[in-house]
Amino acid sequence: MSHYSHYPDYDVLSLINEWDDHTKEIVLKRLGPFPEPQFLEEKEVKMLRLIAKHLCYENRDDIIDWIIYFLDQRLKSNIGEHQRKSSLPQEKILIREGLKATDEATAQKYGKNFISAEIKEQFEILSSMQQGKAPMIPRWDSILQKELFDKLLDIMISAYYSHPTIWSEIGYGGPAYPRGYYRIELGWTDPWEPRRPGADKK
Amino acid sequence: MENKDPVQHNCDHYDGHRYKDMKHRKYGDKEVDVCIVGVGASGGVLVYELSKAGLDVVAIEAGPFWNPQSDFASDELHSYSLAWQDTRLSDGKDAIKFGHNNSGRGVGGGTVHFTAVFYRFHENDFRVKSTDGVAEDWPISYYDLEPYYQKIENDIKVSGPKELPWGTFRGPYPYPVREPISANSQIFREGCEILGVRSSVVPLAILSAPYDGRPPCTNRGFCNEGCMPNAKFTTLIQHVPKAIQHGAEILTDSMVTRLLTDKNGKVTAVEFVHDGQLYRQKAKVVIVSAFSVESPRLLLNSATSQYPYGLANRSGLVGKNLMVHSGHDVFAKFNEEIRLYKGTPVMAYTQEFYASEPSRGFVRGYTLNAHGNRPVALAKNLAVDGGYWGKGLRDVMLDFNFYAQVSLVGEVLPREDNFISLSNEKDEYGLPRPLINFSYSENDNKLIKDAVQKANDILSARGGKPAFVIPDSGHVMGTCRMGLDPEKSVVNSFCQSHDIPNLFICDSSVFVTSSGCNPTETVMAIAARTADYLIDKMRQGPI
Repeated sequence: MSHYSHYPDYDVLSLINEWDDHTKEIVLKRLGPFPEPQFLEEKEVKMLRLIAKHLCYENRDDIIDWIIYFLDQRLKSNIGEHQRKSSLPQEKILIREGLKATDEATAQKYGKNFISAEIKEQFEILSSMQQGKAPMIPRWDSILQKELFDKLLDIMISAYYSHPTIWSEIGYGGPAYPRGYYRIELGWTDPWEPRRPGADKK
Repeated sequence: MENKDPVQHNCDHYDGHRYKDMKHRKYGDKEVDVCIVGVGASGGVLVYELSKAGLDVVAIEAGPFWNPQSDFASDELHSYSLAWQDTRLSDGKDAIKFGHNNSGRGVGGGTVHFTAVFYRFHENDFRVKSTDGVAEDWPISYYDLEPYYQKIENDIKVSGPKELPWGTFRGPYPYPVREPISANSQIFREGCEILGVRSSVVPLAILSAPYDGRPPCTNRGFCNEGCMPNAKFTTLIQHVPKAIQHGAEILTDSMVTRLLTDKNGKVTAVEFVHDGQLYRQKAKVVIVSAFSVESPRLLLNSATSQYPYGLANRSGLVGKNLMVHSGHDVFAKFNEEIRLYKGTPVMAYTQEFYASEPSRGFVRGYTLNAHGNRPVALAKNLAVDGGYWGKGLRDVMLDFNFYAQVSLVGEVLPREDNFISLSNEKDEYGLPRPLINFSYSENDNKLIKDAVQKANDILSARGGKPAFVIPDSGHVMGTCRMGLDPEKSVVNSFCQSHDIPNLFICDSSVFVTSSGCNPTETVMAIAARTADYLIDKMRQGPI
């Protein structure tokens, strides 16, 4: 998988001593180690790790660990999910039942479960779910496949783009309290911000 | 490692006192003059003004009393915990997303995570029926609010331009305009100039110079995640601490579940739950300022045999005419780095397309704001609303720094088909969850199309390549509209219920139309006007 970056020399974590303690604590927890999942079961974790790799286009296990931890914490908690269609079950049921459905749909089409499917086959199943066109199985009556796909995408992408390694790769300046940004005009950067190799030092 | 909440919050706050339980109440069993439900943009102004006038006031907030230093962080994911996360059931063709984008929880409400864009409405925003033959006119005019706009701008020292090209008020603002502006705002203004479209730096409720112990902005850029330096105004840091000094009592982590009425039909008290325990607060007057979803929800849930359809609902309009602003985000890619993460998110705008223009084929208009962004918000919207994932999303995000963004704030017309009602599903307090139904009308969709095109024109003129458009919405308004006719509105022009004289509803739910710009200043101006009216009335005798 490509990890091409405009900013190969930039590491946002090298700036961490400039961050406030609360932010520092929050971001460092994303590096692990993580406790065992409390809501998700072993088989679910295996499937979700594979799904996360597809959705985020990411192979690094330590980053997937964080995504799974975040998802597990969220499903364990009873804090709400902001909004939900009235026809859908709660997100913890949507995901739990949805994983079973994903497995059944994979079996329907490829004669094997999701974990044993080829990467390309897994991709096909996920793609078809996004479009609501996964192989028909009874469980899709109560679990809307596109809603399931979007729910997993929402949670996994939120976690993925909160990981400092990804911040470094995309050239995100990151937390800036207490020092703030001073050179905000076009073409200007504060001395500590990500710069492309060879870029003008303005 | 377990994520721990670093702060233990108190729940009862009054001058010199802060407690973790309800055993040391200031007012307790006493009947207060005014009880306010919800301490956000509107509730913050109300509790401040009413307590300053010497009234006994208790304000009750569902969420915590935030401490910016220990509760906020420079982090998007963390900031979602500052929003109203309780599940709302959301249906319709254009089902609304709730949470961080539109609803706050905790003292300060939405002001804790708003961009602090501070516009006044235009004169014709109050006269949509007269000017365009659709929707309704407000029972008040721009001039009824003008002194309150001015008061609010002064109270919080809005930073803005010396001169504005649009609207009745052309400046100057109390504090100097913010400068420099961010690269994204610069690009936007340059694009406008090439096309001959007038643009301006945005008036902001963010300090450009020190005021009242608060420092000027450092362009950290995390306005939506909670301002840690306190340069951005919130009612949490501006109005509420002063209200406490003036004698108000603030109860937090306390969810109001019902308003109580007597046999004469007047409101007598509110019921609230703190830590699983039910309490009552008696009051001569109750003001509901709990957001356009929670305010009607509370009124509907307080139904009695005398008021079988909920309180203040003779017209049947409680919960109806729900509006949002269409808020599509338009992105273009540039060869140079824009770095959307830097600086106050919104620093430039145009209202050149604000008024109705017959040749466009729709009525009303919109504001275009140059709008900053951050990795999580952008990637999440691209994914869930734009359909990007896997390699496609990863590739876009690797070029994160090369995108510029313009967001629209488009007027949405009120329709009774868009509403909030009570569902059959119960929340943790045993209250019915709100069920919201929302779809854009044909006019709304035409307006969006036009605005997206204009935003793309502006970015393209400056050399950007149109990249993607993400559907989005912001602000919820209009579920308890004000009006002169008790059969066609919920409250009068002072936010007083037509049916129950000692019940007020004061927040964006009283909006008759949405306008085409950010609403917070108007919410606060209406609250200040309601406070004046109430102070005057209560001096004359019981309401």
